[in-house]
Amino acid sequence: MTEEADFSALIAEGKNNTNVRCQYCNSLMLKAHEGVYSKEEVEVPLMMQKQDRTADSLNTEPLQDFWLVKDMMTFENIGFSNTVDGRKFLVCADCERGPVGYHDLATRHCYLALKRVVHKEA
Amino acid sequence: MAKTYDYLFKLLLIGDSGVGKTCILFRFSEDAFNTTFISTIGIDFKIRTIELDNKKIKLQIWDTAGQERFRTITTAYYRGAMGIMLVYDITQEKSFENIKNWIRNIEENASADVEKMLLGNKCELHDKRQVSKERGEQLAIEYGIKFMETSAKASINVEEAFLTLASDIKAKTEKRMEANNPPKGGHQLKPMDSRTKDSWLSRCSML
Repeated sequence: MTEEADFSALIAEGKNNTNVRCQYCNSLMLKAHEGVYSKEEVEVPLMMQKQDRTADSLNTEPLQDFWLVKDMMTFENIGFSNTVDGRKFLVCADCERGPVGYHDLATRHCYLALKRVVHKEA
Repeated sequence: MAKTYDYLFKLLLIGDSGVGKTCILFRFSEDAFNTTFISTIGIDFKIRTIELDNKKIKLQIWDTAGQERFRTITTAYYRGAMGIMLVYDITQEKSFENIKNWIRNIEENASADVEKMLLGNKCELHDKRQVSKERGEQLAIEYGIKFMETSAKASINVEEAFLTLASDIKAKTEKRMEANNPPKGGHQLKPMDSRTKDSWLSRCSML
């Protein structure tokens, strides 16, 4: 619940009120007001995977809060992984850490996870 | 939603395996902390935003993703490409010799007016150099294209190379727009029309 309260401060008129950046290298991913807040319930692979995991036991976590970006060209800088089960994962274009969200090939929508990025102007 | 950019260019990186194309595309990957997950599935393309003459340009940059191992790159990969970086490794003579084959492959598969540029990568490895800068320049002159030596590892000229290629594509695009729409009475300059954008978007279904 506290997390939801935190996120509400980032939303203005349903959109991100600040720039969205990589939490590791500060690369600018999305400019302010370009993402639409979207509540989903999606399993997203963890940024850190356990070394001993087998191929079919991916470590994931459920994420709920996303910035929806309908046109991928809206991003300032972002990387797309190869396709896995109809999705491409979003990574930082500079340091390549991720996934920071995913791209749904069916709808072509991109979802950037609020929990995996930072929200600041510069 | 209003379009937030002026131009959209699709760029490809082409060259032999091991010349460091992936490092050029993913300039920081040497230092990057690659998680098992992302490094296992690999990166398909990146979107980068640059500014030239107050115009906002989106670059969609693709690597050949290992297709070059089969010595041929399919027509599908070239479709819609407006710029191609031909990359060789200055420490690998063979990769330089193969540039000719790559250019032939491009001529057979890509659009005739695709903008090309030659990059001699790994220029930080002075001791292992097999291809002189002069030979690179000479080959570029032969094909009438621009040339730069780069080091993805030391971040030398990588950004400059992309800015140069993008700038040349932009100039070509603007020239063509002017030719199609002479700025005389009554005629209106069309902005990058939706057709261009649609073709880009429709590409995504192929990914």
